[in-house]
Amino acid sequence: MKDVETRPRKYEGILILAIFLATLPLLIGFSLLIISSFSKDMVTNFNFKSFHPTLENWINVFRGKLAITGGVRVNMIRIVLNTLIVALGVSGLVTLVSVMSGYALSRMDFKGRKWMIVSLMLLHAFPGVALIVGVYLLYRISFPQGQDWVRLYSFIYVIFARAALEVPMSVWLMKGFFDTIPWEFEWSGIIDGASRITVWRKIMLPLIKPGILAVALFSFLAGWQDIIYVRTFLIDQTLATFIEANIEAEYTHMPLIAAAGTLYLLPTIIFFLTAQQILLRGYSGGIKG
Amino acid sequence: MKWKATLLMAILVFAVVASGCIGGTQETKTETTKVTLTGDFNKDVIEIGKILEKNGITEVKFSAWGSGDPNSVMRVYGIVDTAYKINRIWKQNGINVKITVTTKYDQSFKDQYQEFLSKQPLGQAGDFFVNSYAFLPTLAEEGYILDITNYAKAYQNVINDFYPNLLEAAKYKGKLYGLPQDTEARPLYVRKDVAECAGLDVTTLPEKVKAGEFTWSDVYYWAKKAKEKGCAEWGLIHRKGSAHPDLIQFIFAFNGKLYDPKTGKLVLDVPAVYKWLYVEWKFAQDGLLPKDIMSWDWAKQIHPTIVEGKTLFDIGGTWYWTEWQTKQYYHGRPLTPEEVKKWFAYTLFPAGEKGDKPVTLSQPFIWMINSKAGQLNPKYEELKDVYHALAFLMIIKASDPEINAIHSVISAHLPVRKEAAKLIKDENWLNKLKNLDLDLAPEVKDNIKDIVEKTVNPINAQFLADVSYMLEYTHLAPAHPKYPALADIFKEAVDKVLRGEMTPEEAVKFIEEKIKADKELADNVEIVGEIPKDWKFPQG
Repeated sequence: MKDVETRPRKYEGILILAIFLATLPLLIGFSLLIISSFSKDMVTNFNFKSFHPTLENWINVFRGKLAITGGVRVNMIRIVLNTLIVALGVSGLVTLVSVMSGYALSRMDFKGRKWMIVSLMLLHAFPGVALIVGVYLLYRISFPQGQDWVRLYSFIYVIFARAALEVPMSVWLMKGFFDTIPWEFEWSGIIDGASRITVWRKIMLPLIKPGILAVALFSFLAGWQDIIYVRTFLIDQTLATFIEANIEAEYTHMPLIAAAGTLYLLPTIIFFLTAQQILLRGYSGGIKG
Repeated sequence: MKWKATLLMAILVFAVVASGCIGGTQETKTETTKVTLTGDFNKDVIEIGKILEKNGITEVKFSAWGSGDPNSVMRVYGIVDTAYKINRIWKQNGINVKITVTTKYDQSFKDQYQEFLSKQPLGQAGDFFVNSYAFLPTLAEEGYILDITNYAKAYQNVINDFYPNLLEAAKYKGKLYGLPQDTEARPLYVRKDVAECAGLDVTTLPEKVKAGEFTWSDVYYWAKKAKEKGCAEWGLIHRKGSAHPDLIQFIFAFNGKLYDPKTGKLVLDVPAVYKWLYVEWKFAQDGLLPKDIMSWDWAKQIHPTIVEGKTLFDIGGTWYWTEWQTKQYYHGRPLTPEEVKKWFAYTLFPAGEKGDKPVTLSQPFIWMINSKAGQLNPKYEELKDVYHALAFLMIIKASDPEINAIHSVISAHLPVRKEAAKLIKDENWLNKLKNLDLDLAPEVKDNIKDIVEKTVNPINAQFLADVSYMLEYTHLAPAHPKYPALADIFKEAVDKVLRGEMTPEEAVKFIEEKIKADKELADNVEIVGEIPKDWKFPQG
């Protein structure tokens, strides 16, 4: 017996076609971007005559060259590394906070629990842009004076600020995952003499691995893609700010930016190609909460 | 509860005291912390070096932020080279201090300005910031850039060598906030082979334009003739985009104004704007200018149309000259300098009608110093004046005629100093530049090598020398915070008349209504004059 609702097969073709048509603009956009990154000219308006294959754009991106001729070179490896630090930092922090608080909200009764659960959704509704003034003020107040710590602090601050935006939704998701696990699992552990922390670590976490992975991946992408917070607080450039600062359509060599854009898309593409099944499992757990 | 409150207060007081102590360093003896500039560069640099050394400073860290097209990298390398030369002076005089410069170069100057705005208060913005003069008033008003008026007094001989109108662009409320780094003119390019086909003599054209004898009515006449005779697909191609100063040249060419210095307000000069829109409308309606040019692609439509000879006239910038030689706009390859010279003539932007004057428009870039320059260095508070004086000396050195001339030749911008203008006419010096046989930092030489290879030749230098006179006719777009909003409305109106969605009269009304609908804009814009009755275009 199947565990999902089934529909008559005669409509299947129509549904697939509708989904395909709905996603077509996105697919075309991304495909043209990727094709252009391997071309001397941008490929737009389905004019494939302007496709002249070359690897020059990718070579220049990795060499950190902003133009075909000369210019200031940037350290692209460093930029990719900066992006990774932010993304991994956000992912690690969000995952850690959400697996702990998700468990607490799911399993423990304490004063203000209900209020906290409701406000999680409310917090998620606040867009990052709306909070930026307050977050900026806090940054100015907490900013270290010593020059040695400034660069490091800007990374830490961006990671914390960006993670704070992801935490409410992730906690909500994790709570959902913990809710799906029967109490009996936990009780048996406690009866055997394990502490709540041990139960959480040794029994609960292995059971919600797909959920942890889903939260970690989504928060990684949030950190990887963030532009407003990294632009405002981070001293160093990330891929997002690099692309933004170099799109000046008049004199930018756009195929080179297409290559940088494709590089920027890579984690998302890899993620969706490899983690589809895990994600589907992850979400089915989360929704039940 | 009372003891809890007392405890809380005690913790608070402790925290305040402790925070004062955190980061506090053991008091060290501080030597002289002030410097008086003498106007002798070497002497001043040595004096500053000695002060820094006495105060235990061995390294001064600065960062230079610049932006623009890929060939304009001297905007940051000028600072790098200066550091190299100051370090050499210090070394020769046994001073154990060195300057290290980190660079940040982005292609979008507007984005970099936004970044400077958000990071300056945090002390994370570049110590040197080269950007459009248009942003200078806001930065000066906010206290984000250094007032260098007093420092400049000692270097009056250098200051006097800058073209006066460009120096004005570096001032705000009578105070000097930076030094001009470069500028440009926006010529009217004429395709020589198309002109010959149409019967237009380009050899005497620059003089006729200069004398105000060749006006926009003549541009229309020849554009139409070229098209009718099948010499070219279009009569005129121009630039596009919001707030682009190229098209507002029409306002000045029709003797209009955009800014009233008495009131400090922007001006909507109705007669001049009407005439501008009428010219655009007429060209587009008669098929001489593409109706959808405001949405054309730079690399795939605008530049190829010009370099492939599909138009008689083009309104562009001086930088086009080398851009065409470095980008693959001509059937998938760049033009050679010989081809650019062979195919293109250039003149001032013609007068609107007889009796008006030809014009051009500049958007000077200015070397500005962050008002927190040197903040990330040791003993900043005590040595602030020393760090600032050093930063000033660095932009003085980075404005050396040689650096300015190199920038001009490799990026096709115009020199801002008279001495630099002389250098680009000097064939010996050009040969030295071609071979990079100049006293420059090795890092700078290495990074400009391939730009120099592509752009340094007598043809390009001659072009710059030829167009330098245009600076005498230059106008500046208003450095007013609301100007970008007004320029956006202009752009929308131009697009609508070109597409034929509005007549020039309707477009002027549209601009007026848009201004009135925005209270802040309405408070900052004076609307003057009326649509002229019975005005005809073309005339004569």
